[in-house]
Amino acid sequence: MSTVLSGEFWAFVGVVAGIYTIFGLGVQVQFGYTGLLNFGHVAFMAIGAYTMAILTVKTGIGMWAAAVIAIGVSILAGLLLGLPTLRLRADYFAITTIAFSEIVRYVALNEDRLTGGSQGTINLAGAGAAAQYDESWQRFQTRAQAWLHLGSKDVTMLVLVWSAALVLLVLLHLAVRSPWGRVLRSIREDEDAAASLGKNVFSYKLQSLAVGAVLGAVAGLFYAWQFSFFSPDDFAPLVTFFAYTIVILGGTARTWAVPVGAILFGVIYAGTRFFDFPPFSYFDSADRAYLRLAVIGVILIALMAFRPQGLFGKRDEMVLE
Amino acid sequence: MTLLEVRGLTRSFGGVRAVDEASFDVAAGSITALIGPNGAGKSTLFNIVSGFLRAERGTVRFAGRAMQRRTPHRIARAGLVRTFQTPRALTKLSVLENVLLAAPHHPGERLGRVFATPRAVRSHEAAAEREARRLLELVRLDRHADEYAGTLSGGERKLLDFARVLMTEPRLILLDEPMAGVNPTLGGQLLEHILELREERGVAFLLIEHDLDLVMRASDTVVVMNEGRILTVGTPDEVRRDERVVDAYLGAQG
Repeated sequence: MSTVLSGEFWAFVGVVAGIYTIFGLGVQVQFGYTGLLNFGHVAFMAIGAYTMAILTVKTGIGMWAAAVIAIGVSILAGLLLGLPTLRLRADYFAITTIAFSEIVRYVALNEDRLTGGSQGTINLAGAGAAAQYDESWQRFQTRAQAWLHLGSKDVTMLVLVWSAALVLLVLLHLAVRSPWGRVLRSIREDEDAAASLGKNVFSYKLQSLAVGAVLGAVAGLFYAWQFSFFSPDDFAPLVTFFAYTIVILGGTARTWAVPVGAILFGVIYAGTRFFDFPPFSYFDSADRAYLRLAVIGVILIALMAFRPQGLFGKRDEMVLE
Repeated sequence: MTLLEVRGLTRSFGGVRAVDEASFDVAAGSITALIGPNGAGKSTLFNIVSGFLRAERGTVRFAGRAMQRRTPHRIARAGLVRTFQTPRALTKLSVLENVLLAAPHHPGERLGRVFATPRAVRSHEAAAEREARRLLELVRLDRHADEYAGTLSGGERKLLDFARVLMTEPRLILLDEPMAGVNPTLGGQLLEHILELREERGVAFLLIEHDLDLVMRASDTVVVMNEGRILTVGTPDEVRRDERVVDAYLGAQG
């Protein structure tokens, strides 16, 4: 099959990896640096994507303004989630966050008139009238393509996603290396010790959650722009665990490990479907699509057994207590 | 002048009064020892004063301000800072970072300032690092500054906790068994530092300690607790002569 060799396909894999980089950075700041087990991270992605799409289609405001508001709404959702739950013990917090992301998904599924329901955003403007929220994005992308002298739309998208990912990566890198990031890490290690030294643990956890919410929402925006139509199914809890896989694959508390983990994940996830050589060729393409989940599982297990610190984590840190 | 004023603190766990109507004062710039047999309620009292536990009744005033409803971090910021019985080294941070974390009023701990005023953050960080290295020298941990705190021994972690607490520029330090697990030579040095800090900066200490020799030598006031209550408060000499104290430690006869 020629798919494996087509630039278009690999550009697509790259775009997915870029979106997952932005998404995974959110898990990195919350889990890798602050120690918050947010298992509902996908909710921020859903809120970012849906808010932008709904506002663009249903109100007169432009897509860019809608995107900014979407990020704001995601931050608010983060605060709403954090205020009652961050005082809970870590395991209870984790359970609550899964529930939170499922609530968001079920609202999207059942509030037909607001979200388009199970059919997704194609149904946003009601039956019979195909809704479009990404006209401004398409125009922007065409202009960017001409300006950058790029050959195809896919490559343009690749450049745009990764530009955003790298800017966010650098900003986050500066943030976590600052004294602010030091406080986050101290909370991950021992929040009582941090409090005894005058650090407002609750406030920093909220900030971490909010920063993660921004990254989740931006990932959601790019997701919406890449796929034009999306539905509640796209925001199942599994997506959150993909981000955890990426962070663990790359190494926790390492910002630069996220894009590497995301690229590896993208190749494994999107790539395996089209791997048409043995042993993959023994399965038909539909089975191969499921096989990739098994492959990811096996990689995670092997990683935990042989390299628990991930590709870029420090082994030393794993054995300290 | 009274720095810390504890009045009628009461806290029970499942019907047992761990702290029962406890009242005592700590004078500014003094060294006050809190002693008593195991289970007397000393650590519970520490936890209440530092805000980690709520009292059912009673008040804690520090420098004239009520503390009993405040959260631990606000009490620490007011200048009342504690250490823990088992030291709480942040193992995956370097020894230096452990101390830097305790720097008070650090603009770099505000995310907005990190990007808005990077130069102010850098210069504050540089000053904090000089102070942190000086404190690490004081407790003889400067050689380990760049190692993970998790590589330190138990005794060294006590010293790290001590350096970290000093970094917060406290007015009163609550030390929970600072000498336990520290070798005697280092313990002696730690005591010297405590006396020095009191002389030079007027820092007050309230410490739980089982080494009675040391308590009697170093402290100005001794508070004796037994079964949740304050048995007596006095100078080391007065406490030594008090028969109730001997009874509490050795068990009352008949």
